[in-house]
Amino acid sequence: MKQFKLNNLFFALAIATVFSSCSKDNSISPELREDGPGLFILSEGLFNANNSSLTYYNVGANVTVADKFSVRNGRGLGDTGNDIGVYGSKMYIVVNASNTVEVVDSRSAISLKQIPFVNGATGRQPRYIVFDKNKAYVSSYDGTVAVIDTTSLAIEKYITVGRNPERMAIANGKLYVANSGGLDYPNYDNTVSVVDLNSLTESKKITVTANPRGVYADQYGDVYILSSGDYASVLPAMAIIDSKTDAVTKTIANFSAAGMSINGDNAYITGSVYDTDFNAVPFVKVFNVKTEIVTNEQFITDQTVIANPYGVNVNPATGDVFVTDAKDYKTNGTVFCFGSNGVKKYSLTTGINPNTVVFVNK
Amino acid sequence: MSFTAMGQTAPRKSLKEVKIEGQTVTKQTVTPAQKVSAADFKRTASNNVADAIRNLSGVNIKDYGGIGGLKTVSVRSLGANHTGVFYDGIPMNDAQNGQVDLGRLSLNNLEEIVLYNGQPDVLLLPARAYASASILLVKPSKPVVTYEKPTQVTVGFKTGSFGLFEPMLQVNQLISSKWSFKANAYNTHANGRYKYQVEGDGSTDKIDRKNTDINAFQTDAAIYYADRDSSNFSFRANYYKSERGLPGAVVFYNDYAAQRLWNEDIFVQSGYEKKWRNSMQLLLSTKLSQSYTRYLDPDHLNIQGELDQRYKQKEYYLSAAVSGRPFDGLEVSYAADGAVNQLKTNLYQFAYPTRLTVLQVLAGKYTTGRSKFQANLLHTSVSEWVDEGAAAPPRSVFSPTLMYSVEPFDGAGLQLRAFYKDIFRNPTFNDLYYTRIGSVNLKPEYVKQFNAGATWSKNYAGRLSYLTLTADAYYNNIKDKIIAVPNKDIFSWSMSNLGKVEVQGVDFSAKTKYQVNDRWAALLSVNYTYQHAIDKTNPQSTVYGGQIPYTPEHTGAMNAGLTNGIVGVYFNHILSSHRYYLSENLPVYEVPGFSVSDASFTWMFKLSGLPVLSSVEVNNLFNTNYAFIRSFPMPGRSVRLSLKVTI
Repeated sequence: MKQFKLNNLFFALAIATVFSSCSKDNSISPELREDGPGLFILSEGLFNANNSSLTYYNVGANVTVADKFSVRNGRGLGDTGNDIGVYGSKMYIVVNASNTVEVVDSRSAISLKQIPFVNGATGRQPRYIVFDKNKAYVSSYDGTVAVIDTTSLAIEKYITVGRNPERMAIANGKLYVANSGGLDYPNYDNTVSVVDLNSLTESKKITVTANPRGVYADQYGDVYILSSGDYASVLPAMAIIDSKTDAVTKTIANFSAAGMSINGDNAYITGSVYDTDFNAVPFVKVFNVKTEIVTNEQFITDQTVIANPYGVNVNPATGDVFVTDAKDYKTNGTVFCFGSNGVKKYSLTTGINPNTVVFVNK
Repeated sequence: MSFTAMGQTAPRKSLKEVKIEGQTVTKQTVTPAQKVSAADFKRTASNNVADAIRNLSGVNIKDYGGIGGLKTVSVRSLGANHTGVFYDGIPMNDAQNGQVDLGRLSLNNLEEIVLYNGQPDVLLLPARAYASASILLVKPSKPVVTYEKPTQVTVGFKTGSFGLFEPMLQVNQLISSKWSFKANAYNTHANGRYKYQVEGDGSTDKIDRKNTDINAFQTDAAIYYADRDSSNFSFRANYYKSERGLPGAVVFYNDYAAQRLWNEDIFVQSGYEKKWRNSMQLLLSTKLSQSYTRYLDPDHLNIQGELDQRYKQKEYYLSAAVSGRPFDGLEVSYAADGAVNQLKTNLYQFAYPTRLTVLQVLAGKYTTGRSKFQANLLHTSVSEWVDEGAAAPPRSVFSPTLMYSVEPFDGAGLQLRAFYKDIFRNPTFNDLYYTRIGSVNLKPEYVKQFNAGATWSKNYAGRLSYLTLTADAYYNNIKDKIIAVPNKDIFSWSMSNLGKVEVQGVDFSAKTKYQVNDRWAALLSVNYTYQHAIDKTNPQSTVYGGQIPYTPEHTGAMNAGLTNGIVGVYFNHILSSHRYYLSENLPVYEVPGFSVSDASFTWMFKLSGLPVLSSVEVNNLFNTNYAFIRSFPMPGRSVRLSLKVTI
């Protein structure tokens, strides 16, 4: 056991345990309370502050474990946890500035492997992760997608894609990668790479609006691309690609979102629009992927106010919608859980800049 | 007496007058003033101006660690941009960042450093000396020459930890009875390496800080003219060139660092002071400066495969001040400064701003009996032009200051003082124009300062030579504080005037000298600062009412020494209570307090008849693991040897 130095994290955990102990169900064993089915929230922390954290919440037992990764491993996640995914019994956390992918047991959060993402000594800056057929695909800002075998946890290949790739999605046996070119302001990239998952090579590039970042697939084989534009003349937009033809079938102009999550026919989309005085007006709306129109501009039906919606994830098992609130990007965030009727069920305090909620349902 | 005049006195008559042990008694000034003299530099084991003032009350050092690391100060929780730095009576200005890296100001050539809260209490000053919340005067030493020995050359070097090798050369030359010359040059070469312990990544072994090398060259030459007491003139040229590695923040699991920084700065400045018999005085100051900065990230993941940013700033500065005494007890002055600042970069769609600042100040000081009243009104006008985009709108601001001091009892050595100062800092070029982040509609950041304090100082004939105590309580109110806020999304931030801060504080200092016997004297100084600096921005926010980041509530410093005039042994200790690195005052965002000791030993001797000044300085004597700024660890124990021979 490595020496444990994060005394203040212990302190935070102690507080979290004291608070949660008020209402915990004593019929559940301690092991199940802290390692049972539940949800994990990844908080980025602040750049160059090494304060990414993983908050665990056991809904049934109402037990929270703040920074569960540090508690279980005696070391921090590192700098800027950008994405998290669960595949099988393993959970993968992509840590951008630390240039690592941390693989942990999805229940205990105990480390199984830390995979360095470096090219020689230089960091590749890993960004996002998706899974398909026992492979994990990790996009990195150096213009690659790494292929990781989910059993051996070895990196088998780096697929070359476009500039500064961000999110990815899988449809029709193909991987769609958003090439943002985000480090080349104002000369952003405007393509989506299509990677054939049999040959593991890029087969084509599809042109979309500049600075694509978000990629999401629905059950009908359509892929949704969210582009941020160039912050000047090119406005944000959403493009819809038919994965059978790889053609853009529709582009919705001036469509901006911080996050999107598809569950069945409903895509939950969140973000903020800015009025003429630069005041942020946050929104959570529902887009029907079958009819391709917004069916509900105001998903939230109660008085819940989210200051700065940062990400949205739907629990496929329950249909609950989780929206993360990054507030001012400098203080601890909140995650709100809504029923599919848009009424808040509960909320939790997270670390700084909570971006993703994942579900360990069994 | 102006502080330009202080740097320009007639050649000294005898070498014997060169005091080795500095005069450390606190000045009786209307505003709180703290002085560090050349002798104190070794006593506090200091290597640059930031080190030398770290003991002072109200000073909060922001040291990014290591020999090439950025070092700035925040005085009374106001931020580095609110301290005006003057070199030989003329302001050093960075229009781009608004702060001067005090780690780059070497102590090699300095006579003393004085920090004034508010402003200096003399009237004949450039208007800019009235235009900051605090003023740091960095004063180079005068030529030390005599008629018997018109040329004096000092050679020396420093070496020690961090692979440091720093040769220096100084020439003092008497040209005529009125003209003298002094030149100084040094070259700092160091690999900067030190070991540190990463906290929180599960590691147990210390590792090397990487990419910490520095190579810096500086030369400073000045010519002085002094005509008895009626007029003084000086002309100075200063050149600085450096290249350094930037070790960056400590990032868990990735200690690779390859970013580089180059600086090349040159300035020429001149001061002229004339006194007439009718008490009229004139002070003219002028300066031309250019600073060039290049930043390179050789591994940036863009098309070019690197990020290479270049910045060039120019300043043209001219100041005229006049003062006179229309009748007994009253002194009045008027000063006007004009400055033109320009910034050029290779950033995309950069504004290429030019700023004209005109400062005018009308000041008066009235002395009656034991009381001194001083008041001034500063007017600042700022106009800007840009090559691309929109320019910031013109600004016109009036800033009043009121000061009062009284010595309630004759010969008791007690002085009471109070001041009120309303001042602001103008947004920097980065605040206004940095591509995609700057906002041209930023207002100035306003500060109201209230201070009340006392100095009690007494010289004794007995073994206790003197005892000085000072105490000041203050309240600072900052509104329209310039902070970065997100705009559109996390990739797109912008500067705004959203912050409000209230600061309540207490500064305390004590200084004494005790003559142990005929030869040995003991020196002791103690400083303490309390700062309660509270965010008052948004009552709905979780950070409302919390201590602002990187502001310890308690800081203290102690310096003790024993000297016989030939040998000196000194011990320095600083301590800081915990701080928060974020506005949320949660235990997880705490940066632990620290307690760090330094020691030094100085010895003067003769080698083949030549006077040699030698010293051994040990920083962080007990090898404490600590940091001022989180993720920027300070070095462990380090040693510096220095030797200077005067020929």
